[in-house]
Amino acid sequence: MGFLKRRLRQFKEYDDIAEIGDIARRYFVMNAFDGVLTIIGVLTGSYAAHVESASVVISTGLATSIAMGISGLWGAYFTEAAERKRDLDELENHTLTDLSETRIGRASRVAGFVVALVDGLAPFLSALIALLPFFFSVSLGDIYLSYYLSLGIALLSLFGLGAFLGKVSRENIMLWGLKMVGAGLLSIGLGYFLGGWEGG
Amino acid sequence: MNNIRRLVLDVLKPHEPSIIDLAQKLSNLEGIDGVNISIYEIDRKVENAKITVQGKNIMYDEVLKVIQDNGGAVHSIDEAVAGTIILDDVRTLQD
Repeated sequence: MGFLKRRLRQFKEYDDIAEIGDIARRYFVMNAFDGVLTIIGVLTGSYAAHVESASVVISTGLATSIAMGISGLWGAYFTEAAERKRDLDELENHTLTDLSETRIGRASRVAGFVVALVDGLAPFLSALIALLPFFFSVSLGDIYLSYYLSLGIALLSLFGLGAFLGKVSRENIMLWGLKMVGAGLLSIGLGYFLGGWEGG
Repeated sequence: MNNIRRLVLDVLKPHEPSIIDLAQKLSNLEGIDGVNISIYEIDRKVENAKITVQGKNIMYDEVLKVIQDNGGAVHSIDEAVAGTIILDDVRTLQD
């Protein structure tokens, strides 16, 4: 317990120095949004193509989620590492000391790691949650019920993300939620009509 | 026997960690009774701080370690007081 408390306090200190929370919050919303919209694309495409096998939707969706997760992890880690190294170098030029082994250097490294984790997990988990009904499609019976439920969960997730942004900006939570749902509906509409048209 | 009672240091440090944080960290050191940090110049990335530590048994190496771990660089030691009493700077005719 003492160990955990110490670690949490240390993380709080690093957060104060490197502003990890603010950046992680941005990455979380941006990438969870990406994750949900991508999975909406996969679902709408499969629906328009009349894919009636849950395992096909699951494997396509999972592979997409994993790819998004890895993309987030890799992309954010190296981007953050590069940006933070540049910031640290600039600070070192001012103080004329090596800061890599100080609290600032450590905070900078922790920030890169935490932000990458958030960036990777946000799209992966948000996509996975939207796919959940397909794992129970045998119990649900009709495969199309899984589609509707999945799309419903995806839209609900988008609403949740919008509401979160509304809370962050201290504005109307409902309005922000609906703005995000709008993107999901547009994606479903365009995907369905274009996919349906393509499929004849 | 270490009997340093007061040190006044001129330190260049980044804005973060803040002087509140640094003052707390220094005051937690053994042998230190009080800490005062004041900023006298602010730059875009760094700030100049006058750090005064007072106690009965100040260990300079430990003070230096905390300052450096928080990204600070000691530019000069402007005052050092040692002994059984704290003796302030004495005005002379030349002053």
